[in-house]
Amino acid sequence: MYLDAVNNLTELPVSYSNGHQPFEEVFAPWKDWEPSTISHHGRACCEIVKEWVGATDCSVMNGGNCLSGPRWIRQRFEWGPTRYPTFWCSVLKNRVLDCGVHAALAEEVFSQRGVKCFRAQMVQEFSRSAAAQWQSSWEEDDAITSWINDHTIYHEGCAVLCGTDTIKIWDSSAGWWLDPKTNKGYGSLLAVKLTSSKGSGELSWGSHSIRLNEWRAFG
Amino acid sequence: MMQKDLTIYISGLYSGTNPQPGVGIARSLRRGFPTAKLVGVEYSNRCSGVHWEDFDDIWLQRPWTELNLDLHAHSIREKLDAGGLWISSIDLEIMWLGEVFPDGHPNLLTPSATALKQIAKPAITAHAGLPVRIPRFVTTEISDWELHRFCRENDWRVWLKGPYYEAVRTATWADLTHWRKVLSSAWATEKLFLQAHVTGYEESIMLSAYQGELLDCVHMRKRDLTELGKTWAGDALPVQPDIVSELRRIIRELNWSGGAELEMVRDAEDQLWMLEWNPRFPAWVHGSTITGHNLPASVVERAADITAISEPAESAEFTRVVIEIPVREEFPLSPLPEPFGGGIGHSMKHPSGLIEFAQRLKNGNGNRRSNGHAEVLTGSTESIPRSYLNDLQSVNFKGLRTPANLFFENTAGEIFRKAAVIGENTTCGLRPIHAYSIKTNPDKRLLKLALDSGLLAEAISAPEARKAVQTGFRTDQIILNGPAKWWRREELPAGDFYACFCDSVEELGQVVNEIHNGTFGSKTVGIRLRTPNIVSRFGIPIDSPELFEILVDAVKTIPTTVKFGVHFHMASSNIGTSQWRHLFGSMLRWCGSIQALSGRLVECLDIGGGWFPDDIQNGNAGHYGEVLQLIPEHLSGVTEVISEPGKALAQPSMALAMSVLEVRRYTGGSCEAVMDGSIAELPMHFFQPHRILSLDKESAEWFPLERGDSILLGRLCMEHDVVAANVAIPESTKAGDVFVFCDAGAYDRSMSYVFGCG
Repeated sequence: MYLDAVNNLTELPVSYSNGHQPFEEVFAPWKDWEPSTISHHGRACCEIVKEWVGATDCSVMNGGNCLSGPRWIRQRFEWGPTRYPTFWCSVLKNRVLDCGVHAALAEEVFSQRGVKCFRAQMVQEFSRSAAAQWQSSWEEDDAITSWINDHTIYHEGCAVLCGTDTIKIWDSSAGWWLDPKTNKGYGSLLAVKLTSSKGSGELSWGSHSIRLNEWRAFG
Repeated sequence: MMQKDLTIYISGLYSGTNPQPGVGIARSLRRGFPTAKLVGVEYSNRCSGVHWEDFDDIWLQRPWTELNLDLHAHSIREKLDAGGLWISSIDLEIMWLGEVFPDGHPNLLTPSATALKQIAKPAITAHAGLPVRIPRFVTTEISDWELHRFCRENDWRVWLKGPYYEAVRTATWADLTHWRKVLSSAWATEKLFLQAHVTGYEESIMLSAYQGELLDCVHMRKRDLTELGKTWAGDALPVQPDIVSELRRIIRELNWSGGAELEMVRDAEDQLWMLEWNPRFPAWVHGSTITGHNLPASVVERAADITAISEPAESAEFTRVVIEIPVREEFPLSPLPEPFGGGIGHSMKHPSGLIEFAQRLKNGNGNRRSNGHAEVLTGSTESIPRSYLNDLQSVNFKGLRTPANLFFENTAGEIFRKAAVIGENTTCGLRPIHAYSIKTNPDKRLLKLALDSGLLAEAISAPEARKAVQTGFRTDQIILNGPAKWWRREELPAGDFYACFCDSVEELGQVVNEIHNGTFGSKTVGIRLRTPNIVSRFGIPIDSPELFEILVDAVKTIPTTVKFGVHFHMASSNIGTSQWRHLFGSMLRWCGSIQALSGRLVECLDIGGGWFPDDIQNGNAGHYGEVLQLIPEHLSGVTEVISEPGKALAQPSMALAMSVLEVRRYTGGSCEAVMDGSIAELPMHFFQPHRILSLDKESAEWFPLERGDSILLGRLCMEHDVVAANVAIPESTKAGDVFVFCDAGAYDRSMSYVFGCG
């Protein structure tokens, strides 16, 4: 049925504003999702890969600042479906990785650099046409497509603490820092949830305040 | 004054891929003053902005190359006196207007000459008080030796910049010397400068002011760029209050009138670096108007005392498109010049002749003399080590058959003595060991000096190891390195070696086997790492987890009867001293992982060579000591650190004497001298400067050649055989005179070749 959507030449107009939609509905389909994880066998087979990731990042960073984004991850591993569970010892044998793995790798890299970071679960707005394309290509790969909902999608990234309580959000699958001002329109961030296992707290992202472990929709 | 009586002259209508802001200013002013008369001023009908519809009239001038500046100045004064306003978008025109109107003019909306001095790049002295820093810079008037040092210190991430426009990335010495000649010639000045690159996001602050009053300002972040790094899209933000406050003070102190743009880069640490303060509105000026900040209108409003129409923001962001517009009948398109014979493209100069205008202005006063440095800098002469001059005293030049290599015995002796104790005073408990890299210059005198100074020898082949033994080294004083150390294995001296570093996992397997079989012995067996992100053909690659795992498994096979070592080599003279340190840090990180995963302690670290002599000798080798201090926190098992200086020791130890075969003097003062030496004897000419000495016959003293526009040609029939460019040849120079090219004792010697000698 999703292929039909691709073949349907009449695309329903998207109003690039979530103003008409109650905030909580933006993230409702993914409200209970947890950030993706890369599993560890608890043996050297996985540990060697984690060491490789950290050491490679140190080389590639080339003297850059610890708060610079690890673009090399996306440069080396294209974006595409990943099958779960996935383990450290095998995950990097894939040429394509999904946003959850990209984000998990970025989290590992920032952590090894000594940078405080949080996993970021996000809802982004695109278009029905884009959604239909993704639906089609992921179904072809027999991958899950529940991250797609109409013209919005579930996405993952990584937030890093760059001040006492200020963060930047790294889109590890795009290789850029998200702009806190872009909260509507194609590619915009409609909602975010930052995960921390160490309690709650409030962080600033641009002019936004975000409470840890809670979904925050931007209106 | 009524708005319909308002006439505004706007110059700078070039609208190519690196556009001037004139069209953007006109678009913005049209919104603020719909009935004002906008007159576009241009110096070439090739500038497509003359056809823009918002201009009610075009005042087209002849190109700057042929313009009568006095007459033009007179015409502008008439227009200003008649009530017209003038907004210039051309930096050079603004500088010229500053001289034409030293006391300003109420209708001239450009900064004064005094203000321009304060914003001259690269120092931009007016930036004081703003939360910005200026990237490191030097004038190119300093000696080549110092320029090379600046490049090394800044990891060869440097830009060679012209006095007004143009910046070229010069990643190598050859690039630098080439582009220095090009830019010096184009701008008719030696007053260029080199500036360190800053990595980050580009941002700008645009402001408008009138007679020292800041009227408005906007902060723009580039969101898309052209291939030239020019703004294609951006967003507008309010300027931080603390910056606005400082800008208000600075603008008042400078008594600024007109627009300005502060170009900056924000690095990952959130530090702003100011690159330029442009004395005009930027080309994206109308983008700001779209976001609700019409800065050109704010200046005109204040200067003409007419309220501008205020429009709300259409968007917080702007972008560009390419559009086609009709050509005005009165300015039909000019024919396109025919390509030169066999040429590609139409090879057109800047249509309005701006570069030539710069040349016309170059003898003027003001900041052009100081090239934007905080104080006027004069060229500095190459500094020649006293020991070179002393060694030259003992050379008998009579009957010397040139080109000839000169051995600076005292210089060499002193350098080797100092090298032997480098790092000795470090307190980190490591034993520093130094090994002379034979390949750099296998001259027996240098090998003997190394032996006598207590250095080891580093060999990359069996013949080199044999030569070391012939000089007096024992095999346990020799380190084997490189990918072909087993070449001519039959010549490899018998005995256990000090260390052997393998270039591949395959080689490591072979060495381990030979140790087990007793056919080879070495106190230390190690690996050479090829760390990711560095282009190198040497060492064991580790750029995938699979390759890394193979290496870790191979390390586990090294017998416990030998020490395990890791070798890393990257020439700091090529990649720069800071980047070398980063690489070193990265290598320590890899060693830590290998150690943890293989269970083998790294006991020996070989950090190679490739240092430029000054970088390891200066400051009592303090930098080397600092590097050693990093090791214990990463690798607690390391007890000895080997360095393998070659270039740092050999380069100063020899010079090359060449004789002049012919001197060709040209009208204009430049000259060429054909030498009997060539790049065959000086192959490193393209990679490093050589300090060149000539003998003053009257005083019998040697003096370095100064910077100039003459060149020394090699004797070979090869186009690129130029052994020195940008030098001044002494007037008295004649055939038979000898020039001494210092700093030629390293690869100049070992990689020289026989060519054109029959």
